[in-house]
Amino acid sequence: MKNIRVAVDVGGTFTDVVIMDETTGAIRIEKTSSTPDDPMVAILNGIEQGGIDLSKVSMFSHGTTVATNALIQRNLPRTAMICTEGFRDVVEIRRANKEDLWDTYKDVAKPYVARRDRLVVKECVNADGQVLEALDEDEALRVANVLKKRDVKSVAICFMNSYTNGANEERMREILQSVMPDIPISISSQVLPEIFEHERFSTTMANAAVSPVVVDYVERLEGKLADGGYERDLLLLHTGGGVMTPASVKDFAARLAGSGIAAGAIASRFIGNLCGFDNSIGFDMGGTSTDVSLVYEGKSRVTKDWYIEYGYPIRFPSIEVLTIGAGGGSLAWQDEGGSLRNGPQSAGAFPGPACYKNGNEVATNTDANVVLGRLGTSLAGGKIQLDARLATAAVQDTVATPFGMELHEAAESIVAVANANMANAVRLLSISRGYDPRDFALVAFGGAGALHGAAIAKELSIPTVIIPPNPGVTSALGCLLVDIQHDFSESFMASAADTKPADIEAAFARLEAMAAERLTHEGVAAKDIVIQRNVEMMYQGQWRSLAVPAPSKISDIEALIDGFHNEHQREFNYRRDDAPVSIFRVALTATGMVPKAELQTQTPNANTPTTDATREVWFEGKAHTAMVFERTDLTAGATFDGPAIVEQFDSTVVIPPNTTAEVDTYMNIIIRVQE
Amino acid sequence: MTDKKALDPVTFEVLKNSFITSVDQMAEQMLRTCYSFVIYNRDFSNALHDAEGNSVAQGNDDIAVHVGTLHFTCKDVIRAFKGDMMPGDVYAINDPYAGGTHFSDVRLVRPIFDEDVLIGFSQSNGHWSDLGGSVPGSFDVTAKDMFREAVRITPVRLFRAGDFCEDVANLIANNTRDPASIIGDIHSQAQATQVSEREILRLVRKYGRDQVTQGMDEVQDYVERAVRQRIAALPDGTWESVDYIDRDPSAGEGMIPIHIKMTIKGDQIHYDFEGSHPTIGSMYNSAPGATFSAVVAGMKTFFPDLPLNSGFYRMISVEAPENSVVSAQWPVAVTGFLMPFEKIMNSVFEMWSQIIPERAIACAFNLEYLLAGGTDKRRDEDSTFMFYEWLPGGWGGRRGKDGSDVTTACFGTGLMSQPNEGNERVNPTRTLEFQIKQDSAGPGKWRGGAGVQKTSVLLESEKSVMSYVCDRERAVVWGVDGGLPSMPHGLTIKRADSDTSEWLGSVFSDFPMYSGDEFARPTAGGGGFGDPLERTTDMVLTDVVDEYVSIERAALDYGVVITEVDADLCEYKVDEAETDKLRAHIRANRVAWARSDPEEVAEKYRNGEINSMDAVRRYAVILDWETGDPLPKTIAQFRESFERRSVAHWS
Repeated sequence: MKNIRVAVDVGGTFTDVVIMDETTGAIRIEKTSSTPDDPMVAILNGIEQGGIDLSKVSMFSHGTTVATNALIQRNLPRTAMICTEGFRDVVEIRRANKEDLWDTYKDVAKPYVARRDRLVVKECVNADGQVLEALDEDEALRVANVLKKRDVKSVAICFMNSYTNGANEERMREILQSVMPDIPISISSQVLPEIFEHERFSTTMANAAVSPVVVDYVERLEGKLADGGYERDLLLLHTGGGVMTPASVKDFAARLAGSGIAAGAIASRFIGNLCGFDNSIGFDMGGTSTDVSLVYEGKSRVTKDWYIEYGYPIRFPSIEVLTIGAGGGSLAWQDEGGSLRNGPQSAGAFPGPACYKNGNEVATNTDANVVLGRLGTSLAGGKIQLDARLATAAVQDTVATPFGMELHEAAESIVAVANANMANAVRLLSISRGYDPRDFALVAFGGAGALHGAAIAKELSIPTVIIPPNPGVTSALGCLLVDIQHDFSESFMASAADTKPADIEAAFARLEAMAAERLTHEGVAAKDIVIQRNVEMMYQGQWRSLAVPAPSKISDIEALIDGFHNEHQREFNYRRDDAPVSIFRVALTATGMVPKAELQTQTPNANTPTTDATREVWFEGKAHTAMVFERTDLTAGATFDGPAIVEQFDSTVVIPPNTTAEVDTYMNIIIRVQE
Repeated sequence: MTDKKALDPVTFEVLKNSFITSVDQMAEQMLRTCYSFVIYNRDFSNALHDAEGNSVAQGNDDIAVHVGTLHFTCKDVIRAFKGDMMPGDVYAINDPYAGGTHFSDVRLVRPIFDEDVLIGFSQSNGHWSDLGGSVPGSFDVTAKDMFREAVRITPVRLFRAGDFCEDVANLIANNTRDPASIIGDIHSQAQATQVSEREILRLVRKYGRDQVTQGMDEVQDYVERAVRQRIAALPDGTWESVDYIDRDPSAGEGMIPIHIKMTIKGDQIHYDFEGSHPTIGSMYNSAPGATFSAVVAGMKTFFPDLPLNSGFYRMISVEAPENSVVSAQWPVAVTGFLMPFEKIMNSVFEMWSQIIPERAIACAFNLEYLLAGGTDKRRDEDSTFMFYEWLPGGWGGRRGKDGSDVTTACFGTGLMSQPNEGNERVNPTRTLEFQIKQDSAGPGKWRGGAGVQKTSVLLESEKSVMSYVCDRERAVVWGVDGGLPSMPHGLTIKRADSDTSEWLGSVFSDFPMYSGDEFARPTAGGGGFGDPLERTTDMVLTDVVDEYVSIERAALDYGVVITEVDADLCEYKVDEAETDKLRAHIRANRVAWARSDPEEVAEKYRNGEINSMDAVRRYAVILDWETGDPLPKTIAQFRESFERRSVAHWS
């Protein structure tokens, strides 16, 4: 009987393997050191360490950084592009802007494909989709032979206007396949059939460049798992927040480019839902950075403005995650204008915070938390010992002395600046998008999330903070609880008022046929397919569209338009009922539902936990005596007031004064923050 | 701010960052709700001001050209409405003579009140697609005064206590070619200013009014302190630079000098424009506000990490002769102020490059705008089309690093170039090529960045006209430290019924064009940095392999002899012996070439023996590129620059 689910999240330092027993809902976690040269080694180690019998595994899902790292490190096989004559430089010209407007010595990196490997052929399709000039087949064959001679490992075919008609691209692919049958080929009209050449070419180029890397990795891992007895599909978490099977990975490799980032966002959505919150903000604070994500009415916010390297968009729908350079290791410093700053520079994993005793003498958030007593000096079950004297010296020298502050005031100042920066990041994702944080719960996780979560919530007037049972390995949980999901879209440029329901239904029918085909190919039964339609609209004359959820059968365009006005009001705080509305694109998310397993719960038993362990913890300029609990000692139904500290293997939870904490049936700690 | 106790460091830091976040939130909203595609492509900026109109924070991604101008327009709004403002008001202004840039940049200003006390302003500035005047897009290069240019908006009220003043808005919108978009942008910008107001009032609730207004003052003091400290650490001294606009179309041949003398004394910097030319008979003049902005934008490039607000401006003084090309007054035409603007910026680059050599940079390409309009006859129903497009080009070579290839013009690095597929849908044009222009980069030990070439054909249309707004057809992008100039800007057109192209140059207006006409625009590369004969042969070889540089010009400009081995495999090789010989030959003759008789050079150009790249790079000669006639006054000016920036540095 197959009754085990396994999810693997590969991080920079650790590879987390989550093992769930479907019958009981019990979860256990194996942590192994990551093996960056070949991430698969750590996965296999984790499987062995966890004693997993792969023949009993019903589902193996995986969040991988293979594509991300290959793109970041430019560790890519030689990739070529074939473009319409006159347009080989689209990906190098980009949109010609820069990430840093003022630093003239900081450039945007060159494209993933070198100019010498961007070849051209004659062909022409116009904006209406007419083929004005068929592909020059002699030239196409010559180009194919040149690429063969160069022994390139992957090719992107990117022609102008191919979003309206992909015939020339498809013919080019046939010719290339006849010469180089064994290499992956990405064509832009298939990868991303959308208007705007740079965004489409860039996505296709990234897809082509990572394809050999990802396919090789997936095939090897599939092989090893099969050798071990695993009989089902390996599921890979993609940037859009669902999983896909190896059958789709071959064509859409770049969808895995943000696999690792998505995991945390999915986990926080899941946990928020478990606790009864349709709206939640994910706050994942680690050693060097913090990832913020947002869930509204049960759905993660999705963006198409996404990239690994500035200038090279990967325009697959992606869970929107805002990353800022604030983490436990972020350094406090005084700038030349005399201001107290925090990050984005970080002490990193090595030398790490001053209290790690590796030679860093500049105060970090971790040092400040130690000085304030919020973080204990014995972590990870005693495996890591921090030196409080070094933390004190660092805070004294970096901040207290230069600013003329008392030690604890200095430590609180460091933390306050970090919290304010992180709160601003949350504001950018919530308030500036028309969401009121007071309607949300904050799911705080990552190594440092539980230390800062309650303070961030207070800063933003968020009433509830949820600390999951294992904050340090929450991302891996995100890989466990996913469905197969694909996104499809088509340009649809028309005045909304002039659009007939039949026209828009026809467009959706095409997309739904593609969705059914792909999900069926992946082995999903028709009854398990769920389709969510979106129509992207804007006021006629605007340049950005808003996605409005649409019903599965559109009969009333007026209702659709009204939905747009409402969404515009929510997002931008105004509406123009008398202004004409345009439709820009139709899109759908097709989900192949994976049967869900229930997490184990504890029967709540109201109790007030006690402990003899206390320590002095500083809040708002005063020392408090706080109880220090072991998380493993807390049971469902436990309630207690702050100030209190809960310590556990992978994290420390701070429950400040004027808040109350409660342990729920899933063993989450729920902190209620009073204004 | 004298006797008050300073804010505690945490409150200060939180307020400083929150002010910037509030402005970034405005930018985000504007980008997502705007109507003018110019705004969508990021020609906009936002700011938060104190109650006196001083800038407290400007957006992180705002384009350079608006820097240092927003406080002027805010102050002019205060001047107009002082004592008559209430919560929910929004005012508009686009007045270049009151410190704005040009008429297209329309600013909406909202007073922020806490209860009944005015505590500051938020301002949103966007480049509207049209503001009336004689040509579509409101860029008439032949305009000599503002009456041909556009609608001038001196401060007006667009919202009164939250109520939309439709009459005023319609008056403005109905004087443009695109009223619906203009009304849309008014709403977009007015709502954006509300985003910042909301954030500031949140801060007031949390920290109290006094702390917030004190924070507004202190963040300016903070930037001032940081800038003064850095300037005080630099040696005192005087630096000079001169750059040119190509010509005064209403006068004879000869370039228009903009002269700058910069003096650093202690922690003060003074810029003196004495010697700059009087205003000229075209729209290429700059009013004082825009000139100040150009100085600040150029300088900020050397302090990239400092936040921008009025504190940055306090140690800078600018002085210019009255009614000069950099201090135009009403009603002189100023819509093309970006031409003097970029000259000033590049001169500031040149002077600061000597003071902070690790950030040194040669001249960047000149911005260019193509504006066209007419009747689109592609479909059953005729429609009016109007398009306005700019291209990226190359930036100057740097110390130890080639220039940045294909980058937006230096006046506005945040600007995005436009997708061809978008253009082709809405305009009756098809793009035939849009690619890097081989050999466009100014040669140097560190070459300039490469420019591009775009060629388009006009499809079925009627009554089409085109205008072109550019410069440096004659004041060609210069190299420094022995580096060479790049190439002249200019547009050529090939008529549907002709096999030959006609050179139209870099400035013209309302030029008729017809279906089937092809028009081609290259943009220049950046100027070279350092002697090109000192560039390593490996680097030249790599540029040849990637086709940034041709085999021919590798020899002509760099003295590097390269032969093709197998182009299919990207194999080329350097002939080291021939290269040594060629480099020696160039070294021995190049000073004489750069001083040779212009008439002889013109003769070679007319015969087709040399092209315009040879003329400017090797012979330092500027011609009328259509006729091949030498331009004596221009050549004398260009050679003065070439001698100083290039020849003087050759060993």
